[in-house]
Amino acid sequence: MDLIREVLDKQLVDRNEDRLGRVDSIAAELREDAPPRVVQFELGFVPLARRISIRLERLAAALHKRFAVRRSARYGIPWSQVTDVTMHHIQVDVIADETVAYDWERWLRRHFVKRLGGGSGGSSE
Amino acid sequence: MKKALQIALGVLTGIGGFFDIGNLVTGAQAGAQFRFQLLWALLLGTLMVILLVEMSGRFSAVTGKAIPEAVREHLGMRVWAVPFIVLILLHVLTLAAEIGGIAFALQLVTGVPFAVWALPVGALMWLFLWRATFNAIEYSTAILGMIALCFVFAAVTHHAPRNEVLAGLLPSLPSQEPAKYWLLAVSIMGAVLAPYMFYFYSSGTIEDEWDETYIGVNRFVAISGMGFGAVVTAGLIIVAAMVFASKGIQVDSVNQAALVLTEAFPFWGYALFAATLAVACTGAASEVSLSLAYTVSQTFGWHWGESLEPAKDARFALTYTVGLLIAALIPAIGVDPFKLTMVTMALNAMLLPVVTIPFLLLMNDRRLLREHANGLFTNVATVAIVLISVVLFLVSIPLLVRGG
Repeated sequence: MDLIREVLDKQLVDRNEDRLGRVDSIAAELREDAPPRVVQFELGFVPLARRISIRLERLAAALHKRFAVRRSARYGIPWSQVTDVTMHHIQVDVIADETVAYDWERWLRRHFVKRLGGGSGGSSE
Repeated sequence: MKKALQIALGVLTGIGGFFDIGNLVTGAQAGAQFRFQLLWALLLGTLMVILLVEMSGRFSAVTGKAIPEAVREHLGMRVWAVPFIVLILLHVLTLAAEIGGIAFALQLVTGVPFAVWALPVGALMWLFLWRATFNAIEYSTAILGMIALCFVFAAVTHHAPRNEVLAGLLPSLPSQEPAKYWLLAVSIMGAVLAPYMFYFYSSGTIEDEWDETYIGVNRFVAISGMGFGAVVTAGLIIVAAMVFASKGIQVDSVNQAALVLTEAFPFWGYALFAATLAVACTGAASEVSLSLAYTVSQTFGWHWGESLEPAKDARFALTYTVGLLIAALIPAIGVDPFKLTMVTMALNAMLLPVVTIPFLLLMNDRRLLREHANGLFTNVATVAIVLISVVLFLVSIPLLVRGG
């Protein structure tokens, strides 16, 4: 599989096909006498910014630290959790709403949407 | 039957979405100063927007993907980063101009300055988007947008000289003020070719769940919707020529443009203009706000959809909320909607290549579109679009400086 073409920037969906985010970077393991092996996908503004420039990565990291809503700047999904790869998306065996990738979504739902009467999102919160 | 209804609504939406403050401001000025001489810019812009809208609908119907998500997936974030930032800038400026237009319509009927109205108008737009579903927004924009047909009716009542009107469809050199002539030509095309049009249309195709069986419908809707929208704009140019140019009046504010319908409709022409301005800008502002939220959400892979309640896509809802707030602040601090529109429309034309080239690359990817990829005619036409855009880009800079 051509990782850059088929995987990087692809839409990730969870078990229920809710959009989880995109493959912002790929972490690979270098091995002696063997081709590199993909360890996990990474999601987050910091790994995404790194692909554009180191300065932008520093800015994203500083913003992440300042707001501290997301538990970690990089959210890794191991390759072993991939359940399906289609032309449209990569499906992973998680529930989006419970992941770090949804920390901002949950925070906004609680502090912004609920207060303005935009529904509860049907979550247990 | 269902498809026939969708076609009718699609065409109406096309007209509703086509006509906005950009067309009003550039059309009224063009008619007032150059009579029918700039109709060719409207014709060229319309041919270009039909091609782009048809392509964006075809792309999304076949691939099930909107343009921003497809560009990032297939060309990568490094390629998409610059067009993405340019698009956000153009969306916010266009949204500011549309909100300014609604606020100015309120100034026309109440006498209270537009700057006072800007933030309340932004808040009402937000409430509309927060509460309404995609179809409610689409249909109300479409049906209320019909009020703009008053320009076609007015144009007919003025009995414009047919030969002169037809001659205006061919490009000609200006007899006076060349810098203003070319700047207006660029701005008319920028108003017709506002990038939000085809980015919104692409996401709308997904919201409406169109698939490959809608390719013919898509072509018909693109041609007739945009075509009828252009007829309305042509009506405005013709009326402005008959009302203002014959008296030597130049239009350089919305206040002056507001008099354009007073000869055709002596008692209520002024109020009708204000109503048309408000309705056209409300329709466009809702489309621009959603287009902004679609573009950002699709780029980052967030959950999105105007028919979902905001709690299901909080980041999507936050994007249009922040967009509306920033955009409303621009007229609220007193930036004149007329001047803002002129600058924004010229920028639209200047930056068109940046936001269309990645999309054009995708339209030729046979892995994605198979037999629905661009054919020879469409490719030649799209290359022409890019070339014209580049020429507009190069011509715009000195004209912006000289034209003021």
